[in-house]
Amino acid sequence: MHELLLFASVPVHQHHELLQQLAGLTAMQPRHSVERRLIFKAYRKPGLVTSRVGGSQDLQQSGDLQRVNKMLNGGMFYTQVVGPVSESDFSPAAPAADPDTQMEGMDESKPPVQGTSSYDFEQQPWKLEFRDIPEAGTRSAVTSRVMASAALPHGDIIPSMNAWGYSFVTEYVVEGDVFIQNDIVIYLHRVLHYPSGEQEHREPRRHLPVLKEMTPLEKSGSYVLQASVNVQDGSNQETMKTASQRLFGLREQLKSAVRLEQADRLCLDTRAK
Amino acid sequence: MADSFTIPLRPLVEQQDRPDTLPVEIAQINKQWGSFRDVNEDVLRSKIAEEEARDGAPSEDDDQETSDVDTTERLEQLYKRRADITQFAMQSHMETMFALDFISLLLSKHAPRQAETSMSAFLKQVAPVGSLNSEVVNPPPKPESATKDLSIVSRGWRTQNFNSAANKLLNASSRLEGEITSETRYWNEVLAIKEKGWKVCRLPRERQALGVQYGFLEATPVFRDRGLASLRRAEDGSLILDKGLVPSGSRFVRVRVQQGSRVSTSSNPTGSNSTDTETIEQRILQARDSVFEEELFHELVREARSMASSGVTTRENLIRIPASDELEIHLDLVDSNDESLQADQNASQQDCVLADGLAHSIRLLLAFAHRQNMQRRTQTPPPLTTKRRHTPEYHLLRPALAYLQHLSNVRWLESYFSDIFGVLRSSGLEPPEHTANTFSTWKQIRLSPSVPTVEALVEKFLGPIESVFRGKLLTPNSSFAVTIRTNLSGPPLGTLFDVSFDLSTVSDLKSPGRLGLKDEVEAAITHLLLLDVVSNIASRDISTKNVDSPDITVSKMRKWDAVYPHLGELLMSSENSEKHRKLKVSLSRSELALSSYFVRNIDGVGRGAQERPSLHSQPHSWKSPPTSTSTLDDNSSMMDFVIAQAFRDE
Repeated sequence: MHELLLFASVPVHQHHELLQQLAGLTAMQPRHSVERRLIFKAYRKPGLVTSRVGGSQDLQQSGDLQRVNKMLNGGMFYTQVVGPVSESDFSPAAPAADPDTQMEGMDESKPPVQGTSSYDFEQQPWKLEFRDIPEAGTRSAVTSRVMASAALPHGDIIPSMNAWGYSFVTEYVVEGDVFIQNDIVIYLHRVLHYPSGEQEHREPRRHLPVLKEMTPLEKSGSYVLQASVNVQDGSNQETMKTASQRLFGLREQLKSAVRLEQADRLCLDTRAK
Repeated sequence: MADSFTIPLRPLVEQQDRPDTLPVEIAQINKQWGSFRDVNEDVLRSKIAEEEARDGAPSEDDDQETSDVDTTERLEQLYKRRADITQFAMQSHMETMFALDFISLLLSKHAPRQAETSMSAFLKQVAPVGSLNSEVVNPPPKPESATKDLSIVSRGWRTQNFNSAANKLLNASSRLEGEITSETRYWNEVLAIKEKGWKVCRLPRERQALGVQYGFLEATPVFRDRGLASLRRAEDGSLILDKGLVPSGSRFVRVRVQQGSRVSTSSNPTGSNSTDTETIEQRILQARDSVFEEELFHELVREARSMASSGVTTRENLIRIPASDELEIHLDLVDSNDESLQADQNASQQDCVLADGLAHSIRLLLAFAHRQNMQRRTQTPPPLTTKRRHTPEYHLLRPALAYLQHLSNVRWLESYFSDIFGVLRSSGLEPPEHTANTFSTWKQIRLSPSVPTVEALVEKFLGPIESVFRGKLLTPNSSFAVTIRTNLSGPPLGTLFDVSFDLSTVSDLKSPGRLGLKDEVEAAITHLLLLDVVSNIASRDISTKNVDSPDITVSKMRKWDAVYPHLGELLMSSENSEKHRKLKVSLSRSELALSSYFVRNIDGVGRGAQERPSLHSQPHSWKSPPTSTSTLDDNSSMMDFVIAQAFRDE
């Protein structure tokens, strides 16, 4: 599959306004999403995993499979493992940190629950998302890259990932809102880091910290607007053209609010060096 | 600052010094036309004729010309005129160029560089730059009277100009005032609409105009785009709802139920039967309703076409659906204020309820389909492919039809049960009560937090409908169950009966499972009940003397033996091979019949040719009384007959 993208930077003061504009444009309410993202790095030399030869797949599928195999094994790439979480999965804020409720004495009826959340790491669904480095030398004004995603087992995925030749590097959280319009997924999001006080984890966290204590990667708290269209067959020029036309249409519509543009190719490089 | 400070725009007109100007004018007329004494009729007539001749002549000439000339001449004339025009234009161009040259030459004295650009090449060759000069010359002083005249004329001019300017300003101000009042009215009405919650926006194609969105965002694109009308301003500022080319009348989908020859019509659901479209709000509402109704009909037709296999036919503007044997449903789109469509007053109440219910349900289901579209639209889309995505038909008719079909099946089964149990009851048997759990799938409440309650409620209608009938039999530990399942939304289409038996006394009895036809179901259940009756007879020990025949005083135990339970045959064997007695039970929906006769057989078990009723034995028979007269006074119960027959062999 191919992914066509446009990006824009949204300063934090414009965030609320843009949310409303997007809600009006897409005629839907924003779908809030919080995702854990784990970064894995391939460490095995390519060529160790050989694809089955002589299978009776049809040509189309085998071509696809070969491509994915090549992507996964040919070069060395960082891949992302994405797990959707909800805000309630994060630890609730400590009552002391919230002076308002203390003053009003609201908490007297029920004892404060400290540091517990319903988050169950074992039930956490995961999805593997592979993104290639964007294609070079395309004359089109959109970023386009090969992508593939696959569902992973629930819970602890480190063993499976290790077995596939990936080692855990780090993790972060992405929070944002999703809009859908005309096959375009509009994702207004920002990257959050875990509180810096904690020691470096060697594996994914089993408990999530307080959401409010997470610090944005961009210090000003600004957001990234990402508009993407997925195309099943990247070699089909016509669908690729349709997809980029749609993105350009969206760019025209949002022209007065934000400037959607192509991203720098090397910034989206996922190759492991 | 003064809040209102008015300035007279018109110049003050001085009062004339001599108010009476008549003598002057008379003197003037005398001077111009001669004395009044010379005026007589002839002079006046000749004057009038003269004036007429001067005015009327040219127009007559024109008429003559146009009628006389034919096409070629006209063409010639056209060319000539065109040549004239061209020539005239050329000449004026030439003169302008001369004037330009002249001015340029004059200016070249002072600003040579600038003037040179506008000089013609010829002039540059002929005359050197700056060779012409001008000087201001004082004109000779004018006589006193001339200056006075001049001043009067210019004063008159100025007054006239002031007057016309004042007129223009005043006109403009009154026009503006009118504009302001109508604009105010327009915007107030727009605001009123907005405050009522309608979405007011700019029209996408006509950026200066306002529009109101009343349609449904999730409708089919054709109807979604029609849900936007522009709000135009009438001359007086009132709002006009401009829907473009769409006809303005309101229409609605009429549901008619034809039961035999009776036709019942659903009422207009929008309720806007009246032509009361005074306020703009009502007009918007009406527009919304009719766009909804038209979409509804469009979708109904689309769905009806896909249901052609169920016997649904579509004409240009009519959908006919055979719901059951007697019932036919007609759907069409009609004008709401068509007087000829008034409902039949003598239609039955029940049918009207059915028609109204159907009308409401298809609308609810369309609204539900809109919600589903919204949900589909806001999901993460699948990747783009070259394949066009097919939008499935909405489920509007199918759930309603499934309900009707299911209902008629349930009613049929209920009436069948009441008949057959009535037969059993009138025969003196006491069949246990059966329970019916109709529309059981609708009664289950599955509320998941992700789906709003309204949607969860409607969603049930789309799934298969299920009704379960359960009951116990006369034989202990035996039961039966009939599940009716109707599904028109997906395969298997139609109604299936799932019949299961549990009869302990007949070991080789298997449940028939899924049946499609009512007759099969009836046969299966009748057979089960027959078996039940047979085994009930067989299980009865007959030892009492409590029999009708007073001559029998036997106290030994006897028992009917169910030899062929599936055929309803029981045997009472006897030591005498001639005296085997057979009892044959037959059960149908209308009656239970027993007949008993002797068989001459060694053991009495054989059938067919071997089974020969004794010649001298009269078959005795018993029939269940009609269920309507369920009194057993004049007729003995079945068991009495069975017992009596058991002792008749003596």
